[in-house]
Amino acid sequence: MNLLKLDKATIKFGGLIAVNEVSFEINKGDLFGLIGPNGAGKTTCFNLITGVYKPTSGQISFDGRDITGTPANKIANLGIARTFQNIRLFKSMSVLENVVTAGYLRHKTSMASAFFYLPSAIKENEQLKEEAMKLLEVVDLAHVADVRSCDLAYGMQRRLEIARAMATQPQLLLLDEPAAGMNPQEKEELNAMVKKIRDHHNMTVLLIEHDMRFVMSLCEKIFVLDHGEEICFGPPEKVRNDPKVIAAYLGEAV
Amino acid sequence: MKFLATRVLSILAAIGFSFLVQKLAEGQDSFTQQLLVLASLYVTLSVSLNLINGITGQFSIGHAAFYQVGAYAAAYCGTAFYPNWHGSPVVWLLLMLVVGGIVAAIAGFIVGLPSLRLKGDYLAVVTMGFGEIVRIVVQNQKVLGESGGLSVHPHLQQIWVVVLLAILCIALCRNLQITAHGLPFLAVREDEVASAAMGVNVTKTKVIAFVLGSGFAGAAGAAYALQLGAINPDLFRMDQSFIILTMVVLGGTGSVTGSVLAALLLFYIPEKMRDLSDVRLSVLVSILISVGFAVAAVRYVINNVHKPIKVRAAYYAGITAVTAVVITILGKILQLVPAFQTSVEGGKLRLVVFAGVLIVLMLIRPEGIFAHHEFSWDWLLSPLKKKRTKLPGVSA
Ligand SMILES: Nc1ncnc2c1ncn2[C@@H]1O[C@H](COP(=O)(O)OP(=O)(O)OP(=O)(O)O)[C@@H](O)[C@H]1O
Ligand SMILES: [Mg+2]
Repeated sequence: MNLLKLDKATIKFGGLIAVNEVSFEINKGDLFGLIGPNGAGKTTCFNLITGVYKPTSGQISFDGRDITGTPANKIANLGIARTFQNIRLFKSMSVLENVVTAGYLRHKTSMASAFFYLPSAIKENEQLKEEAMKLLEVVDLAHVADVRSCDLAYGMQRRLEIARAMATQPQLLLLDEPAAGMNPQEKEELNAMVKKIRDHHNMTVLLIEHDMRFVMSLCEKIFVLDHGEEICFGPPEKVRNDPKVIAAYLGEAV
Repeated sequence: MKFLATRVLSILAAIGFSFLVQKLAEGQDSFTQQLLVLASLYVTLSVSLNLINGITGQFSIGHAAFYQVGAYAAAYCGTAFYPNWHGSPVVWLLLMLVVGGIVAAIAGFIVGLPSLRLKGDYLAVVTMGFGEIVRIVVQNQKVLGESGGLSVHPHLQQIWVVVLLAILCIALCRNLQITAHGLPFLAVREDEVASAAMGVNVTKTKVIAFVLGSGFAGAAGAAYALQLGAINPDLFRMDQSFIILTMVVLGGTGSVTGSVLAALLLFYIPEKMRDLSDVRLSVLVSILISVGFAVAAVRYVINNVHKPIKVRAAYYAGITAVTAVVITILGKILQLVPAFQTSVEGGKLRLVVFAGVLIVLMLIRPEGIFAHHEFSWDWLLSPLKKKRTKLPGVSA
């Protein structure tokens, strides 16, 4: 059964139709790419899925349940996590704290237990920190755990965004241009990392990326948007040779 | 059990400390006692406002209103129910702290919920409006004593209670900050969209902070009322809110220890200034002019001199020294001008000090003295330590 399903999802901002009747299905374990030229509506799709915006019409369902219009924090609790194209870390927090904050949604102790610093709260705090450290190892940031997140280099901030999203233990992970601003070597490492996340952490991945080589080598299915509408969907070989896609990218090497 | 032992010990230490303060205060005159009480109350008020403004990043500017709500709740209950109370007065006092806290927390919930759901600085406007509403309601209700105020029964001067309240407020905020439960509050301050994407209920988090902060202000108000024995609306004017706000901003929004130290400092200096006899206008003007230039100089160093902190510290010391000399010389010169030979009453300058401190701070250190840090000797001494370790893998 599909994990995520968009059914004619549409959103209008005033007169602009940013996403127009977009429908696709993502199955468990997919590595699914979402591409398209600038302003195509890719990030807006993420915002629809994660509840930042409510679709003007259409339906979105996740794991068999309708999540259209569900608030963002509930969607995170249901098991969808994301990164942001324009990095949105908790800047003044340490790297570790960023990840613990995301893991916090699984907390079991009450806030009162924290106020009185009860053993249960202390123990849970340690546990969340340990889990966060493990994730930092996955994205190779354990050595900077105590550094303020805004002091990290750009590529590291992108990886921290991924670790933070993973800390919510989602079923579906949305990555918005994770390779942006990375050098070729970093991109290669990221490629391996995303595969590892899918294979070893049992997460389904939906990612937006402009780097075609990166997407084509990583994703098994690719959905192409242009001006908010679907223009192509299929495996990399099909997308690569589709005339509409080539036209949309105006001769950019695809 | 180790946990239980340390916990019992620290609670006993806090209570012991409170009673020690009380014992020491008993030997002093009543003015000093009042100062101690007020200082403790301001600590409670600024630490609780810091939970809202600093840690959670919401801008409330009407904290005195919740202080007032707590005080009037305690005063009203005292008139209505204390005559039938057969328990010990101290138990009544503690009960009133709880009642004042709860009533103010409920008021905080009613004020906070609608405004905190909206994005933007609605809270600032609404809390300011709420302060005015409370004032007008109090001034027009017979049961609340109108402008004349209420006398509070019982009138109990128990300094240990206000000290203990301040300690409790600090301890709860600290505990929240050192466990994972405090992180959503910081996250909301840093980025609401990202917080929600990580599963944080943004509105709920803000409301919890606001209700808790208001509740502590209410408890402080109740303590104040019983301590004073009589209250009136003038004690809770808008400028009280601004004084508390200044304490939080000065200490560094988000820093609990910063709030405590700033509360004590900003409370102590203006209180001392009450005793100040007349200040000559010439001195005042020369201070104003010199500080203006000093601030400009400090800003220049901050923005344009990129040398190690030790070198910059020397620059600042130099600026301070030059400023002191200029104040003295300029003061002497201005004294020759007849127009500057008049005097200003020292006590009237208190609020000027608040405004001045805020302006200077906004210009040279907008993040507050402690910024988001907590006070610790390590932090204080860190610029003097040899070399800060470079971050691995960070490009310049
Ligand atoms: N909140 C908003 N209000 C108005 N218009 C918006 C809003 N969000 C997005 N848009 C518009 O919707 C369109 C799609 O934007 P979106 O950010 O989804 O593009 P994108 O495919 O992610 O592009 P890029 O590759 O540059 O990130 C753009 O024209 C954008 O200006
Ligand atoms: Mg985008």
